[in-house]
Amino acid sequence: MAQPIVQLEAVSKSFGMTHALSDMSLDLFPGEVHALVGENGAGKSTLIKTLTGLYQPGSGRIRVDGQPRVISGPQAARALGIAAIYQEPMVFPDLDVAENIFISAADEGLILRPAHQRRRARDLIARIGMAFDVDQVASGLTLAEQQAVEIARALSQDVRVLIMDEPTASLSAHEAAQLRRIARTLAESGVAVVYISHRLEEIFEIADRVTVIRDGSHISTRPVAEVTSEGMIAEMVGRAVGNYLDKAASTATADIALQAERLTRDGVFEDISFTLHRGEVLCMAGLVGARRTDVALALFGVSPATGGTIRVAGRPMRIPDPAAAMAAGIAYVSEDRRKLGLAMPMPIRANISVATLGKFLGRWGLLNRDRERATAEAFRKRLNIRTPDVEVPVGTLSGGNQQKVMLAKWLNMEPAILIFDEPTRGIDVGAKAEVHDLIRAFAAAGGAALVISSDLPEVLALGDRILVMREGQQMGVLDAAGASQERVMQLATGQATLQEAS
Amino acid sequence: MKSFKTLGLAAALMISGASLATAQTALEGGQEVDMVLLPKFLGILVFDQANEGAQEAHAELENPGDLLFVGPTPENSVAGQIEIMTTSATQGQGAVMLSNNAGDQIAPAAQAAQEAGTRVVTWDSPIPGGEGEDVFVAQVDFGSIGVVMADMAHSILGGEGQMAVLSATPDAANQNAWIASMQEVLAADEKYAGIELVDIVYGDDQAEVSYNRALSLVDQYPDLGVIMSPTTVGIQAASKAMQDEGLCDQVKVSGLGLPSEMVSYTMNGCAPEFALWDFRDLGYLTYYTAYGLATGQLVGEIGESFTAGRMGDYTIEEDPGRPGAKRILMGPFTVYTAENVEAAAQ
Amino acid sequence: MLRLMDRLNPQVLRILALLAVLVAVILFFAAVVPNYLNGRLFNRVSSSVAIMALIATAQTLVIITRNIDLSIGSTVGFVAFATGSLITNNPDLGPVVLVLYAMALGAVFGAINGLLVAFARVPSIIVTLGTMALFRSALVEYSDSKSISTANLPEWLVSFPNTVLWQWGQMQFRAAFVAAVVVVLIVHVALSRLRAARRLYAIGSNPEAAEMAGIDTRKTVFVAFVLAGALAGLGGFMFLARFGTITVVAGLGFELKSVAAAVVGGVNIFGGSGTVIGALIGAILVDLIDTSLVRWQMVSEFWREAVLGILILLSVAADALLMRRLVAARAAREHRKAEERIARELAAQAQGPAP
Repeated sequence: MAQPIVQLEAVSKSFGMTHALSDMSLDLFPGEVHALVGENGAGKSTLIKTLTGLYQPGSGRIRVDGQPRVISGPQAARALGIAAIYQEPMVFPDLDVAENIFISAADEGLILRPAHQRRRARDLIARIGMAFDVDQVASGLTLAEQQAVEIARALSQDVRVLIMDEPTASLSAHEAAQLRRIARTLAESGVAVVYISHRLEEIFEIADRVTVIRDGSHISTRPVAEVTSEGMIAEMVGRAVGNYLDKAASTATADIALQAERLTRDGVFEDISFTLHRGEVLCMAGLVGARRTDVALALFGVSPATGGTIRVAGRPMRIPDPAAAMAAGIAYVSEDRRKLGLAMPMPIRANISVATLGKFLGRWGLLNRDRERATAEAFRKRLNIRTPDVEVPVGTLSGGNQQKVMLAKWLNMEPAILIFDEPTRGIDVGAKAEVHDLIRAFAAAGGAALVISSDLPEVLALGDRILVMREGQQMGVLDAAGASQERVMQLATGQATLQEAS
Repeated sequence: MKSFKTLGLAAALMISGASLATAQTALEGGQEVDMVLLPKFLGILVFDQANEGAQEAHAELENPGDLLFVGPTPENSVAGQIEIMTTSATQGQGAVMLSNNAGDQIAPAAQAAQEAGTRVVTWDSPIPGGEGEDVFVAQVDFGSIGVVMADMAHSILGGEGQMAVLSATPDAANQNAWIASMQEVLAADEKYAGIELVDIVYGDDQAEVSYNRALSLVDQYPDLGVIMSPTTVGIQAASKAMQDEGLCDQVKVSGLGLPSEMVSYTMNGCAPEFALWDFRDLGYLTYYTAYGLATGQLVGEIGESFTAGRMGDYTIEEDPGRPGAKRILMGPFTVYTAENVEAAAQ
Repeated sequence: MLRLMDRLNPQVLRILALLAVLVAVILFFAAVVPNYLNGRLFNRVSSSVAIMALIATAQTLVIITRNIDLSIGSTVGFVAFATGSLITNNPDLGPVVLVLYAMALGAVFGAINGLLVAFARVPSIIVTLGTMALFRSALVEYSDSKSISTANLPEWLVSFPNTVLWQWGQMQFRAAFVAAVVVVLIVHVALSRLRAARRLYAIGSNPEAAEMAGIDTRKTVFVAFVLAGALAGLGGFMFLARFGTITVVAGLGFELKSVAAAVVGGVNIFGGSGTVIGALIGAILVDLIDTSLVRWQMVSEFWREAVLGILILLSVAADALLMRRLVAARAAREHRKAEERIARELAAQAQGPAP
């Protein structure tokens, strides 16, 4: 093969105690589609951000055309011919397609030439095998078209390395095929395409080489012909499993707490059916884009289902909004602590009481701070929240402790059904074990827990049963006792169906 | 020298007030008292002139205390006045001299100031309800302003024609009182039967708004003969508008204006007659009154009389326009024409 | 009809819609106000709008970048006063020097805003709310309670705004109006044809994407504020020339009037889209309605502001609705076309292998 365009040599990057990348080496050759696979949090995003200049490597170096380079920012990356497109396209909704494509072009001089620009825009769109009007504003385009605009923008600047970060995650099957064709076309014209996807079948369709990364480390790089999906999955998930993941004893009872029948939200997920018992922990596994959170949001009434039925303790319920869900005893611990869960500048005490203020009303309907404080103190001890005082702002706590505050907030509501969305994402191992204990304790006390997690070992250790989703479809419900990571991954990537396996 | 056409009516009222005097107080200087002169807002020439008058009196009375000229910025006039009133009370100022732009909204703050021992003397524009005010130093009798404006309109129109009023803001207490008194005069006296008051509009004491409103009046009333503007900003903007559009032959401007700002319009016939009093004198008299009250030499009772330096003797009397309130009437009033405006503008 | 609308650029369409509204407003008042429709109406509105057109243009530059300049009225007031006192003390100064002085002074105020917004990263609404009061207080301090008076201004300055350049019937095209329109046109061409100007739109449209596209967002926002300040300075010069008398309240309220003009003119308050031609027509529309309402006996002084507010709300709502419909309709047609194409391709594939 020719000389690689970009070489990563033993690049490492840490954030505090977390090693996002360690000793990562990678060569990108002209004309190849290089697939990058790994679990969520394996370090793919950090890798992309390092290549596009948003992060600087802690150690190691990047060579471009054999020369060591410092990529100081997106502009510098562009100048070197490195560009990235993401799941959410970065377009300017108010500008038209041609304007979008040439927004940062430096070779066009001071004065714009709209006619000339339109012509070039049309050529570029045609070159990637698309055809749409370049005069329309970008807000009217579909996601795939918006991504095509971004690719055209990269092409207009003579891109040599194009990183595509889960470009098809939000696309329909047809649009995804269109995009894969574009990727292939680009590679054939000599561009190095880095393709990141959780859809393993895509990788087999278009990749020339596949690199697996796990925990920030390079595991393997092989020609696609030498790769099997089983092998790839094994490499992706094969981390050393700590003893905090020991299987806990089930406390499930026969009482049904929650039952979903053919739950559907048009265009998002369809026909999700499961039962959740009191005392049980049901885990939902799947890749990014499997729509697990959407199911949770439907159960919690944030974006209600458009079809199917929900029964709570046997009674059919309509859940049009979160207030109705809370009234039915359903609580939801959000994945996004910052955006949906916690008020960062407010003290721990106020965060714990905010969803259940009715419990803290004293005389004349005024809040009783002493009672709030007593409750917060109780949770601090019970959940081992590491803080000197419940009056400190939540924003000053570590991620794990923030997560515990959020759990306290919802546990305080004493819900019958508690939905945990990625409860251990981004928190350290010790805190993870504590959160697991907490969920287990909640179930042991008769609660019904639904846990969304992308951490496979966690799913296997924590769940009594595992519901696997893929692209809005229910792939099956497994008994955790008989399940393996490979088995779950096969279902989640569409490599197997439940029928085949059983 | 200046040949002022002094109004008999105002003078007569002043004399009658003086004759009620029971005891004549000669104010004793040299006593220390801090005072605040609070205009509607900063940056208007007439208020600055009032300050000059007050400073003159301050020096004359040899008050070792401070005389502060503080006011709000224009966009914050109402809230700013109330705030300064409150601050002055907490600072223990001896007196606040207020040209009120906050209507009755300032009354609670003024009352609180009085309770804290600060005397509140209004000038130029009073507190409409009289609450929180010790005494109002009236530049001229408000009733007489109505007569003056009606007379100027009468003389410009030759006794017959349409008049419109361009005022400041819809809630300016002094302007509203003057317009009301002019309407009364117009209705009461047979002499003005030929004058028709067609409209009252407001220019917010801003040049550009007043300018546009003046032109709108001309467009709306093709037979309009005179625009009467009882505000120094309005009269000047209206004059400029008539001059710019070449309408001075058709529509004249009159009202209350400053000679220095109006001289060119009076000379070219756009604004042949207008009136005003001396703001320096107003500041001077206000200072004397406030000093007397703050030093305890005056009590603030009706009938009390005192000597205000170079300006002579004045008496506290009942305010005919505001039942229950007290005033001191300054006067006189000067009407400016092409004959005297240039001298006054120096 | 739809096909025709499809052919036109949405911005052109927006301006046509505004012109239609303008005509409708004129016809309405012509029906209810006697002696309304004549050349004098044109003279009134054109003279009065000459200043606001510049201020609205300045405001538009800032709004396009997803910011706002509430200090613009204070800038106009300060520049008008400072320029007036400069010429009063140096009556021999020429027009060019005076205009440059006004624009430079305005640019300095704009730069203060720009530094705080772009580099200190303070939201523009907070920065300019602060500088609005600050610049006004500076004016009060600077003016020392004096005011600029027409009598002290040179003749060329005072007579400039109302100089009739040419006349058509009763309609007079006066120097101030013509100058303002020329400035607006220059800014329009610059905004639509300069590469650097396109960045203003990009930043307002999607700041994150702009950063990723390698646009120096700080510098661009800073420049937008400086340019807006310079234009406001020019507005201050025009204000001085037109009114002659400048007190500390000069330009008070211009900040909201300019925002109203821009928004009525179809400038998106959330940035990213809008034209200065639209802002000009917006300024004309607001001024026309304001002037006409004074003459409409039905509406009393106290209701005028409310009626003006309602009209602004209506026009903005109508504009938003119309544009959203148009974009959606156009996108739908595009997608239909694309689907047909795909169907054709699939059919071709089914018939045999591609050549």
